[in-house]
Amino acid sequence: MIGPAIRRAIATALEATLQSLNQALENSLTPQSFAWRLEALQTGKSFAEVVLLRTLLYRVEQVFLIHKETSLLLHHVAAPGVETLDADLVSAMLKAIQDFVCDSFNTSSGDSLDTLRFGELTLWIEQGPQAVLAGVIRGNAPYELRTVFQQAIEKIHQVQGKALADFQGNAAVFEASHADLEDCLRSRYQHKKQGNKAYAWVAMGMLLLALGVFGFFGFRARQRWATYLEQLKAEPGIVVIEAKRGWRKYFITGLRDPLAVDPAQLLQPVGINPQAVVSQWEPYLSFDSELAATRVKDLLKPPATVSLSLDEDGVLRMSGTAPRAWIAEAQQLAQFIPGVTQVEVADLIETEAELESIQRQIENQILQFQEGQTAIAPHQDESLQTLVEQIKRLITIAAALNQTVQVEAIGRANNNGSEAQNLALSQSRADAIVALLVSAGIEPESLTARGIGTRNPLQNQSGISTVEINRSVSFKVSLTDESHSEISNP
Amino acid sequence: MIQKKICMVGAFATGKTSLVARFVRSIYSDVYQTTVGVKIDKKLVNLDSQEVSLILWDLYGEDELQKVRMSYLRGASGYFLVVDGTRRSTFETALALQAKVEQTIGAVPFILVLNKLDLQADWELEEGRSPR
Ligand SMILES: Nc1nc2c(ncn2[C@@H]2O[C@H](COP(=O)(O)OP(=O)(O)OP(=O)(O)O)[C@@H](O)[C@H]2O)c(=O)[nH]1
Ligand SMILES: [Mg+2]
Repeated sequence: MIGPAIRRAIATALEATLQSLNQALENSLTPQSFAWRLEALQTGKSFAEVVLLRTLLYRVEQVFLIHKETSLLLHHVAAPGVETLDADLVSAMLKAIQDFVCDSFNTSSGDSLDTLRFGELTLWIEQGPQAVLAGVIRGNAPYELRTVFQQAIEKIHQVQGKALADFQGNAAVFEASHADLEDCLRSRYQHKKQGNKAYAWVAMGMLLLALGVFGFFGFRARQRWATYLEQLKAEPGIVVIEAKRGWRKYFITGLRDPLAVDPAQLLQPVGINPQAVVSQWEPYLSFDSELAATRVKDLLKPPATVSLSLDEDGVLRMSGTAPRAWIAEAQQLAQFIPGVTQVEVADLIETEAELESIQRQIENQILQFQEGQTAIAPHQDESLQTLVEQIKRLITIAAALNQTVQVEAIGRANNNGSEAQNLALSQSRADAIVALLVSAGIEPESLTARGIGTRNPLQNQSGISTVEINRSVSFKVSLTDESHSEISNP
Repeated sequence: MIQKKICMVGAFATGKTSLVARFVRSIYSDVYQTTVGVKIDKKLVNLDSQEVSLILWDLYGEDELQKVRMSYLRGASGYFLVVDGTRRSTFETALALQAKVEQTIGAVPFILVLNKLDLQADWELEEGRSPR
């Protein structure tokens, strides 16, 4: 019964205050007021209401001097701008509620109600022997304010004790307490400063700058994200299904071939913090030729001597040399590889065939010497060079087939001179060639030298005399299968 | 200006709130809304060319469960004892209340109101007859 009435009174009073406050603040431009305006906008409260709420520490809005016995109002003051409901009624209600509380809660006779709260409003009642002082306070009043109230009610009793005792309903005489009551109308706000315009503009400028910087960063982040998405789209084996930019975070989902690049690795180069990206990649098989080629390599594991190419139509071309077994297996496998539609092996040479051919070429070579000499005869650099390359190639190819190569340099001499001399001469010639080959970079372990003198002479060939042809070094290649070497060479 | 506290006392539903409403705001309603606690109103009257402000305390009506608290009557310059003519018991309640009030705040002037004149046909009280 009392609550609503007082509340209404307060509401009216508040409204008046707000109106004047509104006018005062409407034109001021401070960063603070900007923040308040924002809050007002967000909460749906009026700007002035927000200001009051944010700055008010406390404010005594009304003070009632009430005769205790009759509960009649003796005097009443209100803060400027505060309009009040009928103070007579309020004072009676106040007394009624006090009586009600005292009766209802059986307080001992000395006790009395001295504080009431309705939301933001506090009602303070300061008891005197004949009269009470009641203050309506918004906010949190400091305890010191109690003293102010106490002193006021004491003073009123001192000065008007007789009038209080004789009170018959005529309150005119208590006009004299006006100043004491007004003294209780105190308030404190947090910010009493007038808006400093220069400060306000600086703050405003900073705000704009901040917005600008924010905007720039936002723009840059957007650019980076777009770049990243572009790059992802260009990557084979990556399909972006959904990409979203949230506040501070990015979300991306899509398909990724296990052979495609790791999308996370593209982030740093474009300047996006990988931490900020939540990504979900489902694995899939891409038919992109680039990826299919990678897949082919992974599965077929071609020897270094083979080169593969996969065209747009999925035609896989293999060239180079490869062991017969590998070629057969690769042909089988390749047709089952996703992205491969056809396998072309026409350009692929079997390693075994090449090996045989090189072996034949090496064994057909002879390096010649002059009569009685152990140094190679001049004008054979080209032949020597070819030989070196052939041996090297032979070693490489043999390795691919798990075979080791032994090249034996066989030295000869013609039948001039004694057999013993010829044997020594032929050995020296073989040794000389091996030395040349080693110096050309062939592993000495792959080479042996043997002089056979005049035994097993070469038959004359293409117009070279038998005498000439046997002042020479020829070669014998032997291949040992590594996996069987122990069996074949016990 | 002179102010006076006046109380409305009586049994429940005798018409205390209705009387105040009629007096202060000149309105009347058939709807019964029982008073909880105290309801306070104000009425300015002219008395011998002097303005008097009457602060009217409309107290809740007494019934078997709830007796009227005397503390509400403290400081009253006078009171109305309201009786519902159609219920004899309300007269008895009024008498008991009057005695109690006088005991608490002294011999303060009061007016006994016999209400619901329009229902005089149903009255349980008759002129010149002692209720008992
Ligand atoms: N017929 C008739 N009905 C009345 C009269 N005065 C009041 N009433 C009705 O009596 C009922 C009770 O009236 P209230 O004024 O609420 O009574 P009250 O004494 O305030 O009741 P409590 O507050 O409960 O003690 C209401 O329905 C009124 O309309 C009257 O003069 N004549
Ligand atoms: Mg009532």
